[in-house]
Amino acid sequence: MGKKSNEIGRGAPELSRRALLKSSAGLAGGAFAVSIMGAASSRALAATTQPSSLNMLYATSEADSDAIKAALPDFKTAMGFDINLDTMPYNALQQKAFAELASGSSFYDIMIVDTPWMPALTNKIEPITDMVLDSALSGDLDIKDFIPKVFFDTAVYKRDTSNLHFDKSDVVDPAAIKAGGFEIFGLPMQANVLTLAYRKDLFEDPANQKAYKEKTGKDLAPPKDWDEFAAVAEFFTNAAQRRWGTTLMAGAGDWATDDFKTLLAGFGGDGHLVNDKFEAAFDSPEGVRALTYYVDLINKKKVTPPGTTSASWDNVATSFSDGLTAMTMNYHDLSLSPNVKGTVAYATVPMGKSIGPHFGTWMLSVNSFSKNKEWAYRAIQWFTSAATQTKALAHQLHPTRASVYENAAKDPAISQKFGNFYDILGKSLAVGVGRPRLTNYGDVDRSVWVAVNNAARGAATPEAALKAASGQVRDLLAQAGYKTL
Amino acid sequence: MIESPATREGGRPQGRLALSRAAAMGWGLLSPALLILFVMAIAPTIYLVYVSFRHENLLGPGSTFVGVQNFIRVLSDSDNWADALSTVEFVVLSVTIEIGLGLGLALLLNRRLPETNLLTALFILPLGIAPVVSALVFRVLLDPAYGWVDYYLQTWGIIADPIDWLGNPGTAWLAIVGLDVWQWTPFVTLILLAGLSGVPSEPKEAAALDGAGPLRLFWHITLPFLRPFIAIALALRTIEAFKTFGSIFVLTTGGPGTSTEVINLDLYRIALQNFDIGAAAALGIVFLLFLSVIMQQLLKVLGDNTDILED
Repeated sequence: MGKKSNEIGRGAPELSRRALLKSSAGLAGGAFAVSIMGAASSRALAATTQPSSLNMLYATSEADSDAIKAALPDFKTAMGFDINLDTMPYNALQQKAFAELASGSSFYDIMIVDTPWMPALTNKIEPITDMVLDSALSGDLDIKDFIPKVFFDTAVYKRDTSNLHFDKSDVVDPAAIKAGGFEIFGLPMQANVLTLAYRKDLFEDPANQKAYKEKTGKDLAPPKDWDEFAAVAEFFTNAAQRRWGTTLMAGAGDWATDDFKTLLAGFGGDGHLVNDKFEAAFDSPEGVRALTYYVDLINKKKVTPPGTTSASWDNVATSFSDGLTAMTMNYHDLSLSPNVKGTVAYATVPMGKSIGPHFGTWMLSVNSFSKNKEWAYRAIQWFTSAATQTKALAHQLHPTRASVYENAAKDPAISQKFGNFYDILGKSLAVGVGRPRLTNYGDVDRSVWVAVNNAARGAATPEAALKAASGQVRDLLAQAGYKTL
Repeated sequence: MIESPATREGGRPQGRLALSRAAAMGWGLLSPALLILFVMAIAPTIYLVYVSFRHENLLGPGSTFVGVQNFIRVLSDSDNWADALSTVEFVVLSVTIEIGLGLGLALLLNRRLPETNLLTALFILPLGIAPVVSALVFRVLLDPAYGWVDYYLQTWGIIADPIDWLGNPGTAWLAIVGLDVWQWTPFVTLILLAGLSGVPSEPKEAAALDGAGPLRLFWHITLPFLRPFIAIALALRTIEAFKTFGSIFVLTTGGPGTSTEVINLDLYRIALQNFDIGAAAALGIVFLLFLSVIMQQLLKVLGDNTDILED
């Protein structure tokens, strides 16, 4: 090492003061030029011609399009251009979004993207990490305000290996995301998570409280664990009076999977359904216990209203709103029909060995074929800002920023209108369990819901149903090119 | 005049020219229709065949040739066979009931009672409702918690507990077939009513004078005259029933479990939810070939039975 230094010292011409000055000047000039170019590029990014309008594709009810519609006049005032909003129900929306992206259409500048779609779209949705890191474009972004769990689950992917999760962190740090080889693909807009809604009036009724105490020796309260949940549901069930304890979403559809994965996580299993080694994680003792418990609520304890094995999330909302049940689990806040006198309050779903309510968040993303990417990015920044989300609370938007939940807690008008819904929503998001990141999640989801539905209507035992689904999922993962690690 | 060889030889090109002019005119007149046929039917079919031999990921970087892999996959999937069988069962059951009921209603409406016009108008109503809307209405009516069907069945003492119509395979099929029958029987009725109006009265009067009863009159006179119309109704309804998608999708989404899955639901799921275009194209081609065999038989039935109209 010393020898080498000497050789270099001997061989290298002595650096004169002038040369040093020249070099320094050159370096300074170069650095200045680079900084000028960088600033110019930032400004160029920021100074692209402002469009007269942008086109946005959005979900109708799943992401509360009313909240976005109500925000449009304010958007025009703040940003100086219009948003042409197209809203569609879920299936049509997915087909539209995928068709637009597959054909390379630049029509929609902004698209709302649901979490399970994203693994297949990482080559079609514009990564916005560089724009997030550009202070000229993101001065007011306050990205650290997004709930980290929601942000990482929804918006952070590796482009070519979309199944990978960014190592969870307590803080959203775009530079760390970039350094880890990941990209940000949008800004979270609407966070949906299963919460437990219950009839506060029934729970606080002194006669019910007394009867429950006599029956169980415990105080009547929103159930904290799954045993209590079953006990409370049984207590309120009186089919002759058309009153049942709870709803369950056991019909053929994504909702049955959501119910099951919530229970699976609660019973100590992996609520993601498929683990990081690409193995079906639900055909396990925890999975069987969870599904057996679920099936028993429907068929043995009979605490659910008729039609549970064909019920979807909107059916159960109607059943609860019509006063048929004392409890329900759903993704949204709920209100009672005018002819039902009572009040609604919320709690997190019960906890077993663990807790993991199903959650999935929508994000606003920039179409990679858009001709107005920077302006689209500015627009999604505005729509997901704390100010816009706070204002949208009144329209039942489910915020994705921590500060908005704090604002909601302080706002008596929100408490008056929604009770403790936003408090519980925020707490549930903090413990929620998302979906596995698979390009063919739709197929995996279907196998699981068919198993849940088959078990719920007694067409198969929980063990047999899960075993059959597990085999199907293994084949589906292999078909999609996922190799068990 | 003796025709010289030169004259004969000279006449041939003129004849050929006239012929080719006529042919050109014919092709010219046909060309707009052929162009439309090519663009709307032939080109998409060629593309469908092309895609069926490829792994086609619309959202990925490209597609690859996979030979007959897609066909092997869709043909080796036992679920697809079960769904094909369900499709056939649905078509046979629905169309049979519709033809039977449609014939009964047509005979009833053909009696020219004062109420006939009003009844005909009422029977046609379901035809004017979109299948998806009908399915939504049926879904609400059949809801065991707050639907009218279970409510009245319980109120009248016919059932003790509500029936979860869409939660059991048997009753779910009943609902699907019931919806199709409700929607399409009027169509069959209209066709057969048109047929009945063409049945001459003289043979019936003569047979009645000879002592034939209503059943023999129907069997030996009315039914033979109606045969071509029944064949038309059968062919049109079978073709339509194989295309049923919206009503089943809305009513059961293939559930409970996978018990009401039909091939069209599979095609929708594979192509438009999973975007596995190659596999969907392969399944579509297999289904097309199967339908071609059925259609040939139906066209044969149609041809055999509509001779009477040409006579």
